[in-house]
Amino acid sequence: MQSNRRLKNSDGVSRKTGFRRFSDGGFSTYSMLAPFVGLFLIWSAYPVFKSLQMSFQRYNAICNKDQYPCGSVGLKNYSTLIMSDARFHKALFHSALYVVGAVILSMAASLALAIALQEDNRQNRILRVIFFLPSVTSSVAITLVWGWVFGGTTIGMANAVLQRLGIISHPIEWLATPVLAIPILIFLSVWGGAGFGMILFLAGLNAIPSSYYEAAVIDGAGPRERFKYITFPLLRPVMVYVGITGTIGAFQIFETIYLIFPSSVGSIGGFKDEALMIVPYLYDAGFKHFRLGYASAVAWVLFAIIFVISLINLRLTKSLEDLR
Amino acid sequence: MSVFTQVPSEQKSVDEDLKAMDRFGGFTNPYEQKGKFRALRKLPLYFMIIIMIAPYYWMITSSFKSVKELQTNPPTFWPKKWIIGNYYDSRFNPIKFQQDVQQGLFQRFPELKYGFLRFIFNSLFVTVTTTFLTLFIGALAAYVISKHRFKGKRVIYLVIIGSMMIPWQVGIIPNFLTVKSFGWINTYWAYIIPALPKAFIVFFLAQYLSGIPDELMEAARIDGAGEYRIFWSIVLPLMKPALVAMMILTAIGEWNNFLWPLIITDTQSMYNLPRAIADISNSAQGNLGTQGVLMAAALLTSLPTILLFFFTQRHFVRGIVLSGIK
Repeated sequence: MQSNRRLKNSDGVSRKTGFRRFSDGGFSTYSMLAPFVGLFLIWSAYPVFKSLQMSFQRYNAICNKDQYPCGSVGLKNYSTLIMSDARFHKALFHSALYVVGAVILSMAASLALAIALQEDNRQNRILRVIFFLPSVTSSVAITLVWGWVFGGTTIGMANAVLQRLGIISHPIEWLATPVLAIPILIFLSVWGGAGFGMILFLAGLNAIPSSYYEAAVIDGAGPRERFKYITFPLLRPVMVYVGITGTIGAFQIFETIYLIFPSSVGSIGGFKDEALMIVPYLYDAGFKHFRLGYASAVAWVLFAIIFVISLINLRLTKSLEDLR
Repeated sequence: MSVFTQVPSEQKSVDEDLKAMDRFGGFTNPYEQKGKFRALRKLPLYFMIIIMIAPYYWMITSSFKSVKELQTNPPTFWPKKWIIGNYYDSRFNPIKFQQDVQQGLFQRFPELKYGFLRFIFNSLFVTVTTTFLTLFIGALAAYVISKHRFKGKRVIYLVIIGSMMIPWQVGIIPNFLTVKSFGWINTYWAYIIPALPKAFIVFFLAQYLSGIPDELMEAARIDGAGEYRIFWSIVLPLMKPALVAMMILTAIGEWNNFLWPLIITDTQSMYNLPRAIADISNSAQGNLGTQGVLMAAALLTSLPTILLFFFTQRHFVRGIVLSGIK
């Protein structure tokens, strides 16, 4: 014991001088940091500034000095986007609808699942795995399966099942009906995301001490009160996290739309743009029409939206917390 | 934490206690349902389970149906006869057209030497290399950031954390231009190098390391071990749980990557699996027989990550939960 303490004391001296305790910025420090920082600068930091710069430029595939000069155009990309680009407005509107629907429904489903499968037994463990499967499945693969389930006038699985059950008499053209585009995408998002949220909610639920519930029951609280006064408030941090990450993820939807809502002219988002959203529009502008400056402006609008929503979300929950 | 797996025995005894309490009017399950319609309340859950499984069921059964069966209307829900023709059909002859016979998945892409296997190789190679390299450089950086003292450390760490807030689509156009100017279009470089710096991995590993006392590293330092030696034989083994969790997350992410390969490849030989099956899907438009091949490809693409998940459930969930709650 004594010798141990002495060792610690001598260590305390070195704590002050830093001698041999840390490597103080020697060669090894920087050489260990260099690979990551170097790559980070080239592939993560530089592109952010470059795309900001590009968003103020006309930067197209075809540039000639007389007719279509490339170079700085000031705020023109942004003003066009915000004031007069009807397709972008459509994309924004669809994204907003989709995000609201997908996030709220996914969260409700995740929470319901977490509570339903909270008890730790064999059956629930298997069910949790089943609900989590979409999170580890290639979204391209599973989206193509869904495309066929919903697709085909009569041979899709969805129509076959609904017809056999007598719910519908005529097959529905799921993917070719513009009104159904966003509901279908929301459905796919809930299907794919509910299990992920469920895991986070389960972790949150497990962190709530069961003595709280026992105390509540002794005080005569029913299941509803227990949920309202214990589970819900204590799960709020998890909800904020699931909400923010869900919102950010939902705004970035691309593959599903690319795969099941293609359109004839080599663009994406469906024949009537019924499923056009922000990232598909970015892809369309940047990599189909090679308007790279314009697409960069779209990317920065996306960033701004996500940033503002994260801030509002944090503020909101903070003020709610202060109210209590 | 044990969301999927067995609870540790210690936890179990607590559960037993609570169960025993239950018998005396205690209350383990906060939402214990009582009453006549108890079974009925589970109905939505069963409904959700069916919807959850439906696409997997459809994918697996369809991939073993014959061309003729795939074209029947209404579709069959259970294959009349299980055949492997969608994967490989020995009757297929490229010169002679036969009714109800089509190119199996592994007979497609004849212009590639190994056909579909090439995409499997591409995906595997890219996923494995990217995962290991990204973890290695991430772990090095995380070690230095959490255990070394040097100038500019706070700034570097703040920039790394701040960069996690920026959606990655913001950088996609400049990165495409950089890749193009390096002449990396249709190369493995374009897959691997830009994917290496992952801020989240550094953040996660640095957080993990900060919870580990410095004494072990100090002891090694006193014994005269160099920094690289310390990193390799002390820090890496200590970080193992965190590394495993991150490895699984990264590997699954890389395997399923689609938008980036879509941008940086335009020759078939460089497609990864998701990119290749999107291609098959395009050629399957309106041809129901080809849907079977597509389902076979989808199955082969999703199977590896699902298996990886099954075998590493505990680490995987720990990774997600830690990264989420912290």
